[in-house]
Amino acid sequence: MVELDRDVLTLVLAGTAAALLLVAAVAWRARRALVRRIVTVALRLEEHAPGVEPRGLEPNLARLERAVDRAVLRDGEATLAEQRLARALEAIPQGMVLSDEGGRVLFRNGPARVFSAARHGEVLVTAAVGEMLDEALGGRAGQRTLDLFGPPRRTLVVSAVPLDDERRTVGALAVIDDVSDRRRLEAMRRDFVANISHELKTPVGALSLLAETLLAEDDPAVAERLAGRMLAEAFRVGRTIDDLLELSRIEAEEAPLREPVAAHLVVAEAVERVRPSADLHEIRLVIDEPAAALSIRGDRRQLVSALYNLLENAVKYSDGGSTVDVRSAVVGTRIEITVQDHGIGIPSRDLERIFERFYRVDRARSRETGGTGLGLAIVRHVAGNHRGEVRVSSREGEGSTFALVLPAGPPLVSSTDAEVG
Amino acid sequence: MTRRSFHNQLDEVRNGLVRLAAYVTESLPRATEALLSGDATLCAELIAADDVVDELAASIEDHCYHLLALQQPMAGDMRAIVTAIRLASEIERSGDLVVNVAKAANRIRMLPIDHVTRGLVDRMSEEALGLFLFAVDAYVDHDFAHAAALDEMDDCLDAVHREFIGQVLQSCRNGHLEVQAAVQLALVGRYYERIGDHAVNMGERLCYMVNGWRPGAPAPALMRGLDGPETAPRGPAVTDGARHR
Repeated sequence: MVELDRDVLTLVLAGTAAALLLVAAVAWRARRALVRRIVTVALRLEEHAPGVEPRGLEPNLARLERAVDRAVLRDGEATLAEQRLARALEAIPQGMVLSDEGGRVLFRNGPARVFSAARHGEVLVTAAVGEMLDEALGGRAGQRTLDLFGPPRRTLVVSAVPLDDERRTVGALAVIDDVSDRRRLEAMRRDFVANISHELKTPVGALSLLAETLLAEDDPAVAERLAGRMLAEAFRVGRTIDDLLELSRIEAEEAPLREPVAAHLVVAEAVERVRPSADLHEIRLVIDEPAAALSIRGDRRQLVSALYNLLENAVKYSDGGSTVDVRSAVVGTRIEITVQDHGIGIPSRDLERIFERFYRVDRARSRETGGTGLGLAIVRHVAGNHRGEVRVSSREGEGSTFALVLPAGPPLVSSTDAEVG
Repeated sequence: MTRRSFHNQLDEVRNGLVRLAAYVTESLPRATEALLSGDATLCAELIAADDVVDELAASIEDHCYHLLALQQPMAGDMRAIVTAIRLASEIERSGDLVVNVAKAANRIRMLPIDHVTRGLVDRMSEEALGLFLFAVDAYVDHDFAHAAALDEMDDCLDAVHREFIGQVLQSCRNGHLEVQAAVQLALVGRYYERIGDHAVNMGERLCYMVNGWRPGAPAPALMRGLDGPETAPRGPAVTDGARHR
């Protein structure tokens, strides 16, 4: 019996020991596998492997924690960098539309959002952007110019480029650029250069031609006629030069005179200067004189010159028998002197350009009536010098209304307070 | 198709209509410019561009038919789609009228037009364009009170049109305008006036879309709401002016 017990005991003990060893082995293997998994995950998160590889569960768990912390930090930095870039794109005045490689729009900056929410001409811009992004994703960068009538009239240049990441296309970017002002300035400069050379060369050329003919002419009657024409051309180019000089003087004004000038005297003097021309063209001037107490701080010569130019235009572009009305009004702290004619008017497409130097709506008529093309440029500069403005409204066939708006000066007690003409 | 993607489709239809209208509001002032400047290239461009308009209108209509057939929408949604089909037609016809102006411009581009007549052409063009832009705004905003104002704006356009015809006749009599130019200009006046009428129609369709009201329906029908309780007006409060339509 005791022998049996001892064998059984040995067997049980051996069995238990074997079981314990088995469990230990399994546990040890499981722990090693776990550590291996932890190391793998840590290696994926880490940017570079540590110098000395930690061994064991605890050190590697700590390593994993550190790697996760650093990864979260990196994620935060990446988000911040993305936000910075988005803010930078928002600050750019051009419209920016960013799409992914599938053509889906990821980001629109402020100006671009305005276009996508549009409902009139601007929706054509959004449509163009969509098309061009698709083309760019196909590898074709492009550029298109869109002229919108609106209103308002604008010219937009839309360009699109694919965004490549060495190996593949990751998206496309479209840029919407409003070039209206740039185009306007370019047109102004181009026309001015062409016009000024024409305005000076034409009469001088005519003079030399006439002089040449005169030299070879014996008939005194013909000679007289030629000489007359030479005088006319000389007079014309003389007027152009005078106006150019006046314009330069007005522009270069450094210390402007700021004496109060009686408004009614300015009107009276300008009207007197234009009366001979008005009578010649059979135009009736209807003057509503400003109150005697109204004054304008400024340069009397410039003010009279500006108003005279407006009156002269009104007379020139009206048909015989019509009237030109001159009115004055006080609006707030400003005086408005209005010159209204019932003549041929100004086409709407020319309205914004008429104040440019040498700009003419109808070249033929202007030349005939002896215009230099500088009158309205002078008016605008005088208005600017006096911290005012000149406004125009017009309809072809109905006539034009020009308003010279200037800050009012102190009220005049008697006529001796102001510079008398 | 889920409810949300159905409404995305409705948005697509609406965006398509806005784009279609934009083609017209951009080409109308161009046609006027072609008429007043005699620019043959501009005329040709405008005439060619009509194909785009026709295609887009057709594709919008197709999309709408699909939605009606496959979605079988109810009440407000159905009215929105039906309205879209009719609006596409109004806008497409307006585009055709603009092309007619361009064609007339081409015919008389060598002939001068006197200043007063030109001024009136400009005015008609501005009024017609203003009406159209207003109608598009009202549609996008679902603002039927605005749409009611279209009728009065159209009266303005009609008045300018009458003045224009009178002036054309007078200029012709005075010898300031050649007969051929006068005839084409009279037609052009009619085209602008028709564009204004289309804009008014657009406003009426919008009223129907928002309220279920048909223009000229008797008062009891309007009060009842023709299509049932779901058609309670969603827009701003109705004024008497709108009801008298």
